[in-house]
Amino acid sequence: MKMFRKQFVHLSRVSTHLQRNAIAPCIASPAAEMSTNVAPAAADTSSAATNEFRTGVTNPGEHSELHVAKFYTIPVEEKKQIFSGGGLPKQYEQQIKTFTEACLMVRSPALELLQYIKNADLTNPAVRYVLYGDNGVGKTLTMAHVLHYGALNEFLLVHVPWAPNWMKRPKEAANSASQEGFIDLPFDAAAWLVHFKTQNAKLLGKLQLKTSKEYVWSKRESTPAGAPLMELVEHGIARIKYASETTAALLAELKQLASARQCKIMVAIDGFNAFFHPITRIFSDNKQRVTPERITLTQPFLDITNYDWTNGVCVLSVDKIAMTEGYMASYMPRYLLGKDGFEHLDPFVPVHVGNYTDKEFLSYINYYLDRHWISRAQPGFEEQLKFMSNMNPYTLMQLVRGL
Amino acid sequence: MSMYPSHFAEPVIQKDSQAASRNELAHIPIKAATNDSSDSIFFGVLQNKLVKYITKKGNRSLANELLTETFEIIKRTQIERYNLSKSDREKIIIDAEKLLINAIENSRPLLQLSAIKRGGVKYQVPIPLTEKKSYFLAMKWLLDAAREKDRKVKLPEKLAWEILDAACGQGRVIKKKDDLHRQCESNRAYAHYRWS
Repeated sequence: MKMFRKQFVHLSRVSTHLQRNAIAPCIASPAAEMSTNVAPAAADTSSAATNEFRTGVTNPGEHSELHVAKFYTIPVEEKKQIFSGGGLPKQYEQQIKTFTEACLMVRSPALELLQYIKNADLTNPAVRYVLYGDNGVGKTLTMAHVLHYGALNEFLLVHVPWAPNWMKRPKEAANSASQEGFIDLPFDAAAWLVHFKTQNAKLLGKLQLKTSKEYVWSKRESTPAGAPLMELVEHGIARIKYASETTAALLAELKQLASARQCKIMVAIDGFNAFFHPITRIFSDNKQRVTPERITLTQPFLDITNYDWTNGVCVLSVDKIAMTEGYMASYMPRYLLGKDGFEHLDPFVPVHVGNYTDKEFLSYINYYLDRHWISRAQPGFEEQLKFMSNMNPYTLMQLVRGL
Repeated sequence: MSMYPSHFAEPVIQKDSQAASRNELAHIPIKAATNDSSDSIFFGVLQNKLVKYITKKGNRSLANELLTETFEIIKRTQIERYNLSKSDREKIIIDAEKLLINAIENSRPLLQLSAIKRGGVKYQVPIPLTEKKSYFLAMKWLLDAAREKDRKVKLPEKLAWEILDAACGQGRVIKKKDDLHRQCESNRAYAHYRWS
């Protein structure tokens, strides 16, 4: 009783009733409630470019130490091109929609990685970079930053948004026709081909890449040698039955083409350790769970992360939640990849992604305030959030939801 | 029923306001603070009360999660409106807690009907409500409206809509309150049965 009075000591019953009419116009009419499309906040963004937590530099190639902890905006078309088939976490997509702008923070792991990639000698065998870190520290978003760089710098993107999806919840599993005892994931492979096509359609049109040999799919269907690579992709999308084989063929072709210096390739696989998980959730004919190497999609992606080709970079991430229960004790690459995986990748460049620094944390809080996401800014709330979230990006995002 | 004698004072939870009441409370015994109250940014008195009403089978953490989700949905819709509207942006309230308080204040009833037997006939007699009971009814109605939904709709979603509706003086809860008031008004002739 007294608790309530404290809060509404100034509100007598009568004044409440009077207030009602004053409140009513404050909220838009219910007709507007159902609309989901959001108009861009034009007035805000123009002035916001000068904020201390934002930077106007939208090209990731130009980011440097100066821009650490600042937000840059991914232009709408580029976001659509790179991330329409996945690549940003679902909740981040939701945030982008609410905030009407796709902003990424420039963080030091991404800068470190970009620095390596920029200075890499592409004539040498492909270098593998492995992002690792605890849950929710921004491995995927670091990868997104690098992908944006790759897309702008004419890398062909071979991007798997979340590899464990294939092992954990495939759309459909069928026995492979070409390889005895193997399992095909036709729908997932076709979806990946669509993703590949949307990411690289422009560049593929420009480069005019050709297949090196003839691929015979069945008695009547074949792709001749010298056909454009796009034809191969289209075939996989149109004939879902052969999507897995097409993917394997495409990746092999890309490796050859890159080694022949016709194009440069950026491989980005999120949750790479899923390929080395002891078991999957897919059942074979005799009701046994199959291992990842019995899936036809695994081998091509392992091949393209090998070091026997040039003119490419591999950005991989190992993630605790790519594993299942019982295999999630540590986030270190050696543990997550296991012996086989570690030996497959060895030697690689590990890049640690950590929690926010103080500067990044404050910058994020400022960004949330600017977007009106934190509407109850009581004195000292940053301190409390810092303490409760341990400056972990995901935890912070979760905590701030109800504020 | 309280376990404390009536001369015990309520505890002051907010750290900032403790200094102000220190002299006043120096020699008065004070009730122990409840374990669900805290001086954090996530704590609101009314919010806390609503969480208790949402709780089923003692699963408080789930109730907390549901209310947080409700606030998230409210914030998202309000920010969307903010971005859509070109003029009078300042008038749009984005703060979900403020909207919740507005909604509850708007749906609080003043009177209630209670059956009183006079001369062998039961009359529906309007009687005034205590403040506590009116808060309870307002929150209960909001929740009832939110729980009356399709199975596929989640509670936070529906609760968010009900809160937004009630905050601008529309919706089912407000209608329910107005109906009750109208009935009380039509039964005003029986009002004296309360005491005679």
